[in-house]
Amino acid sequence: MNSTSRNLQTIVFVLIAVGMIALALGGYLTSVSRILLNPLVEVQAWVYSRFQAAQDLLRAPQDMARLQQRNLQLEAQVSQLQAQIIELQQQLTEARILSALVDFARANPENRYQAAAVIGRDPSPFLRYIIINRGSDDNIRRGMPVVTQQGLVGRIDAVTANAARVQLITDSASVVNAKIQPSGAQAVLKGQTSGDLFLDMIPQGVSVGVGDLVLTSGLGGGYPPNIVIGQIAGIRSQPQDLFQSATVQSVVDFNQLEIVLIIVNFRPVNIEPLIPQGTQP
Amino acid sequence: MTIFAAFLVLIPLLMIQMGILSNLPLLQGYPDIILLAILAWSLKPEVRTAWQWGIIGGLLMTWVSALPVGVYLLCYLLVVAIAQFIRRVVWRLPFLIMLVMTILGTLLTYSISLLALQLSGRNLSFGVTFGLIFVPSVLYNLLLAVPIYALMGEIAKWLYPVVSTYES
Repeated sequence: MNSTSRNLQTIVFVLIAVGMIALALGGYLTSVSRILLNPLVEVQAWVYSRFQAAQDLLRAPQDMARLQQRNLQLEAQVSQLQAQIIELQQQLTEARILSALVDFARANPENRYQAAAVIGRDPSPFLRYIIINRGSDDNIRRGMPVVTQQGLVGRIDAVTANAARVQLITDSASVVNAKIQPSGAQAVLKGQTSGDLFLDMIPQGVSVGVGDLVLTSGLGGGYPPNIVIGQIAGIRSQPQDLFQSATVQSVVDFNQLEIVLIIVNFRPVNIEPLIPQGTQP
Repeated sequence: MTIFAAFLVLIPLLMIQMGILSNLPLLQGYPDIILLAILAWSLKPEVRTAWQWGIIGGLLMTWVSALPVGVYLLCYLLVVAIAQFIRRVVWRLPFLIMLVMTILGTLLTYSISLLALQLSGRNLSFGVTFGLIFVPSVLYNLLLAVPIYALMGEIAKWLYPVVSTYES
């Protein structure tokens, strides 16, 4: 009896199980399974997230060290690239200047040029001199004119083996014989303490105007002729004066000098012995 | 050693002066950090080589500058003399003395420079240069007197360690 009852129970369970499976496969138990499984899924998710957190905590020191190392590498790389950018920008600027200087040299084939970099300025604020990195080893001699692609800068004042000092035309002791275009009038260009240029000894009666071009005249033998100096910015003309005078705006920015050209095939002429005694300053 | 240190200190300062500070004018005025270094050095009580530093600084500046030969040497030696005199007269040397001497030293140096240039034939007006060069340079030098004084103090402590330790 007992065995018959057990067998019957087993059959009933099997039938119920098969029925349940059949119902589940037929999709009739979806809502029931959702109600039953949702809490289980949530619990499972919570358990798994706790496990992940514990695992991250245990692995964190390794990752942190690796990330820090990687961060340092990347920072170093960024610094290196930034330095390269700055260097390339500097090279680009220099290349542009040199390109302009080469164009200038090609446009004036009668002169031979030696390029030089500006490496310093005279420490005295009363003087307008620059120091360049070419000297007697490069056949630089005292008195040679110095220019840029824009125009006249000055002339060599003192030379050592591998450096030279250039007196700028803005120096208060600088005197350049100049001519004004288009009138062709001769004048004398002087430097000022303020760094400005002053054109003196313009003959009365000569018509000069703002914007007229000022060039070297070549008189006196100190500079070659026809190097651009600047433009007239203002004129002072009084009827009672013997000469007119003018202020000149230089074409060269003397505060931004980086590379200059020395005209090496020009030899200045010393005319002092020819000046009668007593008329020299 | 202290003479050798003069070259080690003054040559880099000269390079900074020519390469950087001379490109940063205030109106037309520049600072003179060689003057400030010599001045600060001369005012340090433990220093025994102020004259030598003045000579070396003067010679270096004479070498690079187009000012008439010997002007910087004369100026710096006069500044050292005044600083040494003040050091003897004033028992304590507070930082204020450095500032006062900066003004005096700058005016003295530039006055002598101007006079020498006028004697050499340059047409320089005192009125124009006072506004364009003297006043801005004094202000510039006052600004730089603080770091230069501190720098020279550290160098003096390094070169005269026994005296410095005893005094502190």
